[in-house]
Amino acid sequence: MMEIQVAQSQDVTVVVPTGDLDMGAADQVRRVLTELIDKGQLKLVMDLGGVGYIDSSGLGTLVAAMKQARAAGGNLKLCALQDDVRSIFEMTRLIKVMSVHATRQEAVASWG
Amino acid sequence: MRDGGPEGTFVLTSEPQHLARLRDWLRGELTRLKVENQEQFGLQVAVGEICSNSIRHAYAGLGGKPIHVSVQGNENRLVIEVRDFGKKFDPEAYRPPDFEAVPEGGIGLHLVRQFVDELSYDVTQEQGTRWTLVKYRRRE
Repeated sequence: MMEIQVAQSQDVTVVVPTGDLDMGAADQVRRVLTELIDKGQLKLVMDLGGVGYIDSSGLGTLVAAMKQARAAGGNLKLCALQDDVRSIFEMTRLIKVMSVHATRQEAVASWG
Repeated sequence: MRDGGPEGTFVLTSEPQHLARLRDWLRGELTRLKVENQEQFGLQVAVGEICSNSIRHAYAGLGGKPIHVSVQGNENRLVIEVRDFGKKFDPEAYRPPDFEAVPEGGIGLHLVRQFVDELSYDVTQEQGTRWTLVKYRRRE
């Protein structure tokens, strides 16, 4: 099981997973994000600072949650990507369509 | 799951939670073969994606099915084989991802190709698919 912490920063919900976001963890992350969106917590930040590995299943989970949040009027923003993880977002061009920030503070502040 | 195959071979069963142990084993093999850390990450992604493909498509998500991974290397290249015994890979069914549409799936093989120099598959066995990944080694 992946460790996933959820914190509130004013009206922004920050999700902090720790470990590898692979096929084995994707369903767990999907459940957490879907539950938050279903509860109306639509200003989401995913802090990936503790994630050193991501695969296509992990990416798919984040893209699906981003689409779900955007469809409901919110968004899923990412921050603190490690270099290897960032390279995966670049190779799949997701870096251009997802909102990616250097730090958690910056991502939370971007909600204004 | 067991990892007691011949040296350079790892056998896992088709539960996604075993992929982490596969990566640990692969890291050890690549370190033994003096592969740089950044290249190790890419090969872990590539091998992980092929195994995920076997779990999802060859075995339709069923657990307990075998996947064999082997690594061989010399000063010129690394050769990694992934073998499953389920439904054979069907290239006709594969659709490359449409990045303009922001895909949620179908990007695994795209990622594999980013990290290896050659990717081939063999479906001539009685069962399953044998994938071969080749990475040429950079000379100093």
